[in-house]
Amino acid sequence: MSYQKPTINRVDFAMASKYGSPLKTQKIRENINGISVRELTEKYGSPLFVYSQKEIENKYNTLYNAFSSRYPNIQFGWSYKTNYLNAICNIFHKLGSIAEVVSEFEYEKARNLGIEGKNIIFNGPYKPKEALKIAVQEGAKIHIDHLFEINDLEDIADELGVTIPVAIRVNMDTGIYPQWSRFGFNYESGEAYEAVRRIHKNKKLYLTGLHSHIGTFMLDANAYKLETAKLMQLKAQIEADFGYEIEYIDIGGGFASKNHLKGVYQSPEVIVPTADDYAEAITSAIYENNKSEKLPKLYLETGRHLVDEAGYLLTSVWGYKRFPDGKKGYILDAGVNLLYTATWYNFNIELDKRYEGINEPSMLNGPLCMNIDIINENIMLPALERGTVLTISPVGAYNYTQSMQFIRYRPKVVLIDNDSNVHIIKDDDDLSTINYKERLPEYLELNK
Amino acid sequence: MQLNSLIIDENNMGFIPSTGATFQLNETGKEILSLLKDGVDKDTIVETLSKKYNIDEKELFIDVSDFLYKLKIYGFEI
Ligand SMILES: Cc1ncc(COP(=O)(O)O)c(C=O)c1O
Repeated sequence: MSYQKPTINRVDFAMASKYGSPLKTQKIRENINGISVRELTEKYGSPLFVYSQKEIENKYNTLYNAFSSRYPNIQFGWSYKTNYLNAICNIFHKLGSIAEVVSEFEYEKARNLGIEGKNIIFNGPYKPKEALKIAVQEGAKIHIDHLFEINDLEDIADELGVTIPVAIRVNMDTGIYPQWSRFGFNYESGEAYEAVRRIHKNKKLYLTGLHSHIGTFMLDANAYKLETAKLMQLKAQIEADFGYEIEYIDIGGGFASKNHLKGVYQSPEVIVPTADDYAEAITSAIYENNKSEKLPKLYLETGRHLVDEAGYLLTSVWGYKRFPDGKKGYILDAGVNLLYTATWYNFNIELDKRYEGINEPSMLNGPLCMNIDIINENIMLPALERGTVLTISPVGAYNYTQSMQFIRYRPKVVLIDNDSNVHIIKDDDDLSTINYKERLPEYLELNK
Repeated sequence: MQLNSLIIDENNMGFIPSTGATFQLNETGKEILSLLKDGVDKDTIVETLSKKYNIDEKELFIDVSDFLYKLKIYGFEI
């Protein structure tokens, strides 16, 4: 008989009947796109972010086909903040996406990758005037958030002696809570219509588009039907009253990924709408509400849905201990500094092989010397070993871009291409990365 | 709770007749329990298992400590 780590669990029959057989189930992932997770961490270190190009392309093609099979004029814009690693952005650009940015930094990043101004959608409540001016000169699609921005743009129009094509961002009630009413102009109160009247009055700007983004991780496709219907009704009203020709509507992002929101008990497979559900809701609302001869171009700024499931974080067990309440506590080499979204999602956590023995209540903690560094507070796991590699997913959206340099160096990021070649797309940090912009006043230097 | 009151069956289920508490064990867990019942001390258990399974004592010490701690948490007198 071979050695198994000794285990004893009190059997709680109520729990066993509710959760099936939590004492035996193990989720196992030996590889990603055919490459062993052990091999990846041995070669590139642990922890390690891993992206699958194949998964991104699958998601993109599925969503794009859902829309293009229903509607003739579609354009995707890659939401930079969701993940702005250069390699990831360029996968989307090569698939045909333009760029959607929300700051001067993201704008510069898109330009630096070779995206022309006319292929950049510039959103967000804070657009510094200098950045706005460059965006105007380069022909970017500017989506106005508030009245101050109208004033800024009119100044720029005067300065450059041009009239500027613009869009406005509209917020609205689509039955979703919380309502994202902080951005743009409100539809129901007439504020959006009033903003257009204001733009029209001075004739320095002219309206070519309408934009809205109703929220993120939207589990109700019908909210998009309401959103699109309202944008189309506003479009018809504006065209009739001001003579503008609205060339496009942009319905924003927000489609859910197959992640597991905390507090939601059904599996994502059951509750997340499909690409077809979203596409049908949006395109049918355009057809039903269109009053002009030409159909508008339809822009989407989908982020999370396209990249979340393409991202994995590999992490290794460094040690474990027994907590006074009986729970087993594992110390991992990746923590919440790398998993910003751990606050909202219960990630899928998979083992690198089958482990002998029965499961016991366990907790996964990161390496930070901080009480909040919890990746999973309550998970049934068999006795793992020092060095066990866990795969945490989906983590492709909003994790790397929001990961922090905190306590430990940030790890490498690799991409697995369609031929299963592995590319390092970002190196791990070292002391020079962190010290790069610091300055030490001479009088504070030691040994002087 | 006395360790001796824990009855273990052939499916590695442990049962305490007086309270109805039920436990699930694995082979090594069962083995350590029977050594404990025979009055073998912790260091000797580590040595014994180390020889039997050819595993480093330092590593076994972690596993055995963990197991004993959990028995204590469950209220066994050891
Ligand atoms: C204006 C805008 N567009 C697109 C997105 C992308 O959203 P998601 O990742 O939910 O698709 C966001 C995210 O907050 C956003 O603010």
